[in-house]
Parts: sequence; C-alpha cells; structure tokens
Amino acid sequence: MKSIKYKYILITSLIIAFFFNFNGFSQELDASNYKMRLSLSTFKQNDNSRMLEVSFIGQNKEDRKDKLPVFDAEIKFYNEDNLLGTAKTSKEGIAQFTIPEGQNYITDEDGFINLIAKFEGSDGLDEEDDDIQIKDLFLELNLKEIDSVKTVLVRAFTKDSTGVETPLEGVNVIISIGGMLSKMKLEEVIIEDGEFEYVFPTDLPGDVNGEIIVYSTIQDNDDFGNVVKNESVNWGVFKNNNLIEHNQLWSEAGPLWMYIVLTILLLGVWANYLYTVIYLFKIKKEGKEIDREQVELNTEL
Amino acid sequence: MNLENRKRELAIEFSPLLEKTTTVSKIWIATLVLIILVGLYAFIVQFTQGQIVTGMRDNAVWGIYTVNFIFFVCLSYSGAFISGILHFIHTPWKNSVSRMVEIITVLSLIIGPIYIILCMARLDRLLYLFMYPRIQSPITWDIIAVMTDLIGCFIYLFLTFIPDFAILRDNSENAPKWRQKMYKYFAIGYQDTPKQRIKLHKITRTMSAMIIAMAIIAYSVLAWVFSLTLQPGWDSSIFGPYFIVAGLYTGIAVIIIVMYLIRKYYHLESYIRKVHFSGAGIILLVLSLLYGYFTFSEYFTRWFSHKLYDTNLLNTLFTRYFWMFVFANYIGVLVPIVILFFNKLRNIKSITFAAVIAIVGLWFNRYLIVIPTLETPYIPIQDTREEFIHYTATWVEWSLSLAGVAAFILFFILLMKLVPIIPMSGIIDHERGQAKRKKSIK
Repeated sequence: MKSIKYKYILITSLIIAFFFNFNGFSQELDASNYKMRLSLSTFKQNDNSRMLEVSFIGQNKEDRKDKLPVFDAEIKFYNEDNLLGTAKTSKEGIAQFTIPEGQNYITDEDGFINLIAKFEGSDGLDEEDDDIQIKDLFLELNLKEIDSVKTVLVRAFTKDSTGVETPLEGVNVIISIGGMLSKMKLEEVIIEDGEFEYVFPTDLPGDVNGEIIVYSTIQDNDDFGNVVKNESVNWGVFKNNNLIEHNQLWSEAGPLWMYIVLTILLLGVWANYLYTVIYLFKIKKEGKEIDREQVELNTEL
Repeated sequence: MNLENRKRELAIEFSPLLEKTTTVSKIWIATLVLIILVGLYAFIVQFTQGQIVTGMRDNAVWGIYTVNFIFFVCLSYSGAFISGILHFIHTPWKNSVSRMVEIITVLSLIIGPIYIILCMARLDRLLYLFMYPRIQSPITWDIIAVMTDLIGCFIYLFLTFIPDFAILRDNSENAPKWRQKMYKYFAIGYQDTPKQRIKLHKITRTMSAMIIAMAIIAYSVLAWVFSLTLQPGWDSSIFGPYFIVAGLYTGIAVIIIVMYLIRKYYHLESYIRKVHFSGAGIILLVLSLLYGYFTFSEYFTRWFSHKLYDTNLLNTLFTRYFWMFVFANYIGVLVPIVILFFNKLRNIKSITFAAVIAIVGLWFNRYLIVIPTLETPYIPIQDTREEFIHYTATWVEWSLSLAGVAAFILFFILLMKLVPIIPMSGIIDHERGQAKRKKSIK
C-alpha cells in the first residue's frame, strides 16, 4: 500500500515537473559530474580601494561548455592568515569584496601581497581556494593642456615599506575613454621610467556637455593584477551632425515635387469640375430662356 | 419619327419600374432595412464600448472593415473606369448596362469609405486627418483621391441622369407632386435642344475621360497604401496594376450579377439580352486570366526569393488560411476560366455563377492581403493571447459588413425607383442616330 502511494507521488511529481520545466530532464544537478573552479582576481580601483573578485563555477567534466555557477557560497578573503572579510556568491557565481584605501597589507620580502580566497566546503561541495601574489601599484593620471595641446600624463610606480617610489618599467598601459557600453581604446604603450605622455585626439565628441572620462588601465598583469585610474575632463568636441533636412520624405514639409504634382493634378481635376458646373448653368439658363419664350408664345396666342 | 411621342412611349413603358412596388420588393426592402438596423445597433455597440468589441487588436489593426473598404472602393473605381470606357463606345448594347455601372460606381464609393471610418478607434481625431495632413503619407493621398473621385462620380452620374429627368419631367403628369417637382429641379431646364445636347455631350465626354484617369490614379493610390510599406506581403511593385486588374475583375463580376438580378426581377429580357452576358463573360474571362497571372506572379516571386518574413507569411497562408487561399487563388480564378472558356458552358446562369465565384474569391483575396500580413509582423508579438496573435471577426464586424451590402442593394433599388435602370435618353440618342443615318443614305 505504501509503495503504491509513493508510486503515485512520484508520477504526479514527474508530471508536474514535465509541465513546468521541460528543461528539467536535461539538467544534471549532481555536483560530482562537475569540476569546481574557484578563481580570484583583483582590481585596484580609481579611489585606490582594491576589489577582490571570486568566480566560483562548476564545469561539466564531460561537456566543458556546460558551466554551472555556484550560488550563495560563502567566500572568505585573506591576506596571508589575516581575514579581510567574507562575501557570498551571486547567481552568476561571483563574490566581490572591497578592501578600502590605506589597508596595511602583509607583504613578503619582495613586496608581494599574498591574497587568498577560500570556500570552506558544504554538504555537496568540497573545499576550494585560490591565491594571487601582487604588488601594490600606484597609477597617477593627469589631464593637462600643455601649450594648448590636450595631454594625458600617466605616472606608475610602486612604493617600498619606507615609502620610496620605484618607477614602473616594461608594463603595458592602456589609455581609453568611456563609451555607452564599453571603453574605447585610444593607445596601448609599454611604460618606461614610470612615465608616459599621450596627446589626446581633438575630434572626440564626449557627452552632451563635452565631458569625457579618460582611463589609464593595467590589465591582468602577473605582478600587479588590474589597476585602473580615471578622470573626467571637458575635452569633448561636440559636432552636431543632425542636419535639419527640408523637404524630405521624413521632414515636416514633403518633397517639393509632391506639392507640384498634387497641385497640378488637383487643379486639373477641379478646373474640369468647375468647367462642367459652368456648362450646367449655361444649360439651365438656356432652359429658362426657352421656358420664357414658350410662355410669351402662349400669351400671344 | 416624332421624338416627343417616342419619349412619352418610353416614359410609359418604364413607369411601372418607377411607380409600382410589388410585394416581393416590399419584403426585400423590409429585410434590407432590418439588416441595416442590426448594423446600426452594432455601430452603437462599437461606438459606446470601443473597438474591443471587434476582433482587431494591437497587431491585426485592420480587419474585415478594411477588406470591405478595398472591395467597395475597387468596385467603384472599376465602375468609373468601365462607365467612362462605355461612353466612348458607340454600340447600342452599352445603353442597357451603362446606368447600372454608374449607380454601382457612386453607391460603392459612398459605402466603401464608411468602413475606414469604422476602422478608426478614435473618431474624435478624424478631423486631424484634414487639419494636419502629411503629403508624404499614402493615407493622405487616398483621402484626397477618394473625395475627389466621389465628387467627380456624383457629377458624372448627374450628367447622365439629366436627359432622363427631363423626359420624366415632361411625361409624368400622373406622378405624385413631389416626384414632378424633383424631376423638374434635377432636369435643370434641359429641353433636349441641339445646343443643350451638344453642351451636355461635351461635358459628359470630358467627365468620362476624367473619371477614367481618376479611377486609375485612385486605384494605384489605394494599392500604394499597402505596397509602400515594408510589410511582408504588401511590399510589392506590381500592387498598382494588380489592384487595377482585380478591381476590374470585381466590377465586371458585380455588373453580371446585377444584370442577372434586374433582368430576372424586373423582366427586362428585351433590354438585357444574352449578348450582354456573353460580352461581359468574355471580358470576365480575359480579366480572370490577367488576374490569375498577377496572383501567380505575386506569390511565385515571394516564394522563390525565400526571404525569411515572406516565408513566414507563405507558411501562414498555406496552413492557417489554406482553404481560403485555395478558394481565393485557385477556385476563384480557375472555375470562372473553365466556365467562360468553353462556348458550350457559356449561358446566362453559368456566367452569373462564374461571376459569383469570382466575387467570393476576390473578397477572400483581399482578406488574405490584409490579415495574414498583420498576423506575421517583423517584431515579435508581445501579448501572446490568442486574440492578439490571430484575428477573428466578431458579430459586430459581420453585422456592419452585411449592413453595408444591404445598404448598397437598398439604395440601388431606391435609385431605380427614381430613374429607369435603362436610360431612356440613350434609346432616343440611338434611334436619333439611326434616323440620321437613314436620311444620309437616302
């Protein structure tokens, strides 16, 4: 009896599952089929705060394209053994944690900061961790008009424990500007002596007020991670390309030929109507004259 | 031949058509009035409750009102075209059909545009069409074309009526006073003097040429309302001539049906003879071949080019609208061709049957031009309720459609009570011409 009850519950559940989720059958939710990948990256932001970002994704062992984000997993961020904070993964499997400016990091003798992200495991998932070693890089972005030339000045350096600056050498720096959806790259150079000058183009429009956000970025560098610095400047040259067009199909007044053709057609037709009506009046007038003549004739008789 | 006596004879001959009302025609009139009243009720329902009572929704913004509009307006244009052509043909048989064609032209041009007004959800904004017209819009051209054509057709119809009004004025002593007054007023003092006759013929001839030209322009403008859009099924360079041929096909078919009904119910066998049906049948055959060619060309090019949205449209036509498509484009073309092609099959009844099939096929053809295109838009349909995806006409739309047809028939009957359906002046002109010819031979 009990087995029949379970059978019905199972069938009903399957039917409900069939109606409400057609894809349900094709999804394999057993975590053992997935290889978990936890990867840590770091972004030094404009305000010199540092964002630590973890991507926690399960990848199907058989079908590598089948990726499943791990949701609501608690990630702990460490600098060596020092716990910096925790964050939970989103539906996309992303956990972010921001370290404020002025954080005192523990570094090794070469000045590298060891950052660790750790997931301590759950009932269905094993413990996972990742770590990166980066140096704290300082980027300075100055936007100046030198002899009326709009110039982007970039300085990049590291500091040792005593505060002595060491200029950056041989690292790619990208100069870009902000767009609606993404950044537009203007220049990519290998910085030498920690400094770089770039003559800003004079034909970029900017927003409606001519404002442009200029970025200097170091991307995915093995030693420094991601570092970005940006500044807004009123260097946009707004060109009004919206010419006011007259007499087009889409303008308020139509093409001239349309007015001409329509006028000719309507004048031709209505002139003919008028001509017809005039003739009708003439016929009527003649009819009246005939009537009058007949009346006169009858009177004479 | 004493013309005055002959006019009197004709007036006496046709007076029963004008004065007597049989029981059958009374029942007919009552039925038509009833249908019109149901239509009026449907209009009140639509006016008070809005277009929600129709099958029209966000996508299918046009329904059978637009189909009826195209049908009636095309019928009118073809009537104007045929009427204009008939005026230039000097043959005695044209006299029997010319008035029917003129009445069909004017009545369908009055009824057709009413359907477009019914299509408008906000009638209070109707005035904006005239206050803020855009010359770039085919809708504006259509409004101008319909209005200009309507006035032209009215003038033309009036011109052709004048001589008959004059005959009736002079020969209706026993008619009621209001009728005598009306004939006198509309006859505008026409006495059939040579001077007046020349003047009237002159302006009628000019108006004939004018309404032929206007019919072609108005036909094309109506076709451009569709073909100047980028919608699949509408964006076609042959829509102008296609509409003209389809319109003429409609016109000839309706004339045949009207001839049949008038011949049968008014016993005008001596005026509407087999030769009229045979002639009209041959014209219908030629037009059905042309119409079939245009239809094939239209769909074949769409199918062959295999553009995504055209393919979607054709899939809809061959699935959801399969039987309508078959009737419109196979039965509606091939049956008339088969009947009219063989001399043995060509008799009055079969020619009329072919005309009825052609009319039904043409109405379906218009339906297939308007509705399936709107049901397969470029942008995906957001509201997936059945009535938003597929259009189905409601009782309100059917009632108003039938009311339009009923009004057409009713006004036709009433106009036939006003002037004889066979123009007496045409008979007089013909006999006068014959007499002249005899004199010149002597």
